[in-house]
Amino acid sequence: MSGRPTPRVILDEGTAPAPRLDFGWEVQVAPPVPPARGWSTMALIGLGAAVLVLGFSLLEAGNFVAAQFAQAAWLGWLTLAVATAGFGLVFVAIGRELRGYLALGTVDRARAAVARGDPAALRSALAAWQAGLPEGRAKPGDLGNMPINAACALVEAKTLAPIAQDAAALGRAAAVQAFAVTAVSPSPALDALVFGWRGIRLVRQVAALHGFRPGIAGTVSLLRRVAVDAATVAATDVAVDAAVRGLLSSRLAEHVAGEAAAGAVAARRMMLLARAADEACRVLPR
Amino acid sequence: MDPLSLLRGLLDTTEDAARALVGRERIRLAVTGLSRAGKTVFLTSLIANLIAAGRGARTLPALSDATGGRIRRVFVVPAGTETVPRFDPEAHLGALAADPPRWPERTEDFSTLSIAIDVERRTSLGGLLPERRLTLDLIDYPGEWLLDLPMLRQDYATWSGETLARFRRGVRAAAAAEFLAFLDALPADAPAEDALAKRGYTLYRDALRACRDAHGLRFLQPGRFLNPGPRGEAPLLWFFPLPEGARGGLADLCARRYAAYLDDQRSTFLDPYFSRFHRQVVLVDVLGALHAGEEAFRDTGDALAAVASIISGANWLERLLGAAPTRVAFAATKADHVPTRARDALAALVEHIAFGARGRAAQSGAAVSCHAVAAVRCTEDAVARLEGQAVAAVRGVLLQDGRGATIYPGEVPMKPPEPDFWDAGLFTMPEFRPPRLDPAGTSGMPHLGLDALLAWLIGDLL
Ligand SMILES: Nc1nc2c(ncn2[C@@H]2O[C@H](COP(=O)(O)OP(=O)(O)OP(=O)(O)O)[C@@H](O)[C@H]2O)c(=O)[nH]1
Ligand SMILES: [Mg+2]
Repeated sequence: MSGRPTPRVILDEGTAPAPRLDFGWEVQVAPPVPPARGWSTMALIGLGAAVLVLGFSLLEAGNFVAAQFAQAAWLGWLTLAVATAGFGLVFVAIGRELRGYLALGTVDRARAAVARGDPAALRSALAAWQAGLPEGRAKPGDLGNMPINAACALVEAKTLAPIAQDAAALGRAAAVQAFAVTAVSPSPALDALVFGWRGIRLVRQVAALHGFRPGIAGTVSLLRRVAVDAATVAATDVAVDAAVRGLLSSRLAEHVAGEAAAGAVAARRMMLLARAADEACRVLPR
Repeated sequence: MDPLSLLRGLLDTTEDAARALVGRERIRLAVTGLSRAGKTVFLTSLIANLIAAGRGARTLPALSDATGGRIRRVFVVPAGTETVPRFDPEAHLGALAADPPRWPERTEDFSTLSIAIDVERRTSLGGLLPERRLTLDLIDYPGEWLLDLPMLRQDYATWSGETLARFRRGVRAAAAAEFLAFLDALPADAPAEDALAKRGYTLYRDALRACRDAHGLRFLQPGRFLNPGPRGEAPLLWFFPLPEGARGGLADLCARRYAAYLDDQRSTFLDPYFSRFHRQVVLVDVLGALHAGEEAFRDTGDALAAVASIISGANWLERLLGAAPTRVAFAATKADHVPTRARDALAALVEHIAFGARGRAAQSGAAVSCHAVAAVRCTEDAVARLEGQAVAAVRGVLLQDGRGATIYPGEVPMKPPEPDFWDAGLFTMPEFRPPRLDPAGTSGMPHLGLDALLAWLIGDLL
């Protein structure tokens, strides 16, 4: 066929090099941002109530101090000192609570940076995390001058692995105690109580290994994370280990040995809890 | 099938079954393609985009949808004690993203890499159960070596006969004129003289090179003559095809070296990597073959069919043992060389060019499908005015001087073209600069159709 154009290359006018094409690929494939959840109604009510109580009591105290000054100067000064000391302690407690809660945010930031593959953010999150580690814990040191995957490997080997071992040791200790208590306790209800209390303590102990000293709010948030991780950890542990290594012992034991085995299962759960807590507090995902 | 490989097959099958049981499948994905088909670039893009998808980026939407968004994590399996070099996607990606960019060199040796994909289970309780892990074993190698596969089923005499018959026809005859003249001058009972063997080898190798580089031919054997690999040239290679009548010492020497060559290729390359795999993708540079003329186009089809007769033509026992691939995807690579609306034609054409190969694969019980993909998209659609007509074209930046250009790739026929199609003459597609890329590869790289290909190829495993 003669009428058909043949393949050819048509160069652009001029000799200036053209910029490389840009399809805006990064934007196109960026993961969808989950909608910000904002504050829940309950949280707003709680916060409002706290502001009201604290604000009005502050005002009330102010009025009271002013009234005392009107009576006598020395009485006024004394009332002011008492009020300042009282409110000071309350604010210190709130500050500590807040710090404990926010410290957990370092973990979120570091993990988000890993997920995005953002080395700069990860470095800064790791630096903040290092600063918060407890005394005496081996730290990876300055990570600024090494490639980020090497830095992560170092963090893992130098700090996270030993912490995981310590967490496992804490878990074993808690397991022994739980086992002992369930063995001698008179009622299952008491069992559950002791168990719950020991569990929360264990989670807080493991968090402390990672440099977190959560207050009440922090502990609640921590427990929520642990609950999420515990499901995976427990399942991984039971299903995969059992299938792969042919270790069906815990399931079997539960049926065969009855009562004593219940204690063994409880003890085993403590160890799992320690692992789940460790998982929830690690700066780097496993 | 000898007893030893039967035993090995049985063991492998048992291992596969055990792994599937505990949610730890290992899938060998064979990426086959003749030289310059785009294997190395395909693997680089596949790995980068999978890893980015594991981080939540929507680089492979069709695969994400096929798996219901259950992919949780993708990572390169850490190295063990392998003796084989490791495929280095970061280096390839870095070179593509660099300024000025570089495409990978011709691959000179084989290299391997494994990618692990963690997926949530399909069941409703999937979130509670541990994730399944699928390990994809990948391998990169020089495309020329693939054509050693058909030689495994031939003895020296048969191979010589077929090869020489091919060399006495068409453009090969002109490219190999000197070698053919040397053969004709050789007495039938030539002695086992190394000088002769080496001379013949050199002439034959040069003829092969001319066929590959000047004429775009692909059915060129043996592979190591064109691409000697990391060990370079060895006396093992000093042979060449001799005509039927040859009986002397030289013929014996050539036959012995032929056998030794095959043994060596079999033990170092073919047996470990091509004896057993689960999924296969066959990459074909259809457009390149089309532009290189009728003979090159046919030759590419013949070469693919010859390779497929070995790879996919599994017998019932191999199929039973799961040694044959269950899905084979044929893909026309560099689909960004044609405008969007010509891509379907490209996929249809790959179906025809790979007809022999496709028949084999389907016969062996594998599901087959055809695609058009660009591992790295380097162009955008454009319109060109040629001889008064507006035609769909592509626009890209040329690799050499960085100038922008609009390329009209010609018409892409849906089936092997009529004879008068070839009157248009030959055309060489210029190389393009890849688009702007992130050297760290956090968002993968722009591609065309890679996700649909993967969704079909491995979507059911995830
Ligand atoms: N535009 C475009 N060009 C591509 C693409 N993939 C490959 N190419 C071109 O094709 C050339 C060969 O690609 P490779 O991946 O190196 O081919 P190969 O199959 O590994 O070749 P051997 O190693 O020699 O067997 C590259 O240098 C690119 O110029 C693509 O997706 N788009
Ligand atoms: Mg290559």
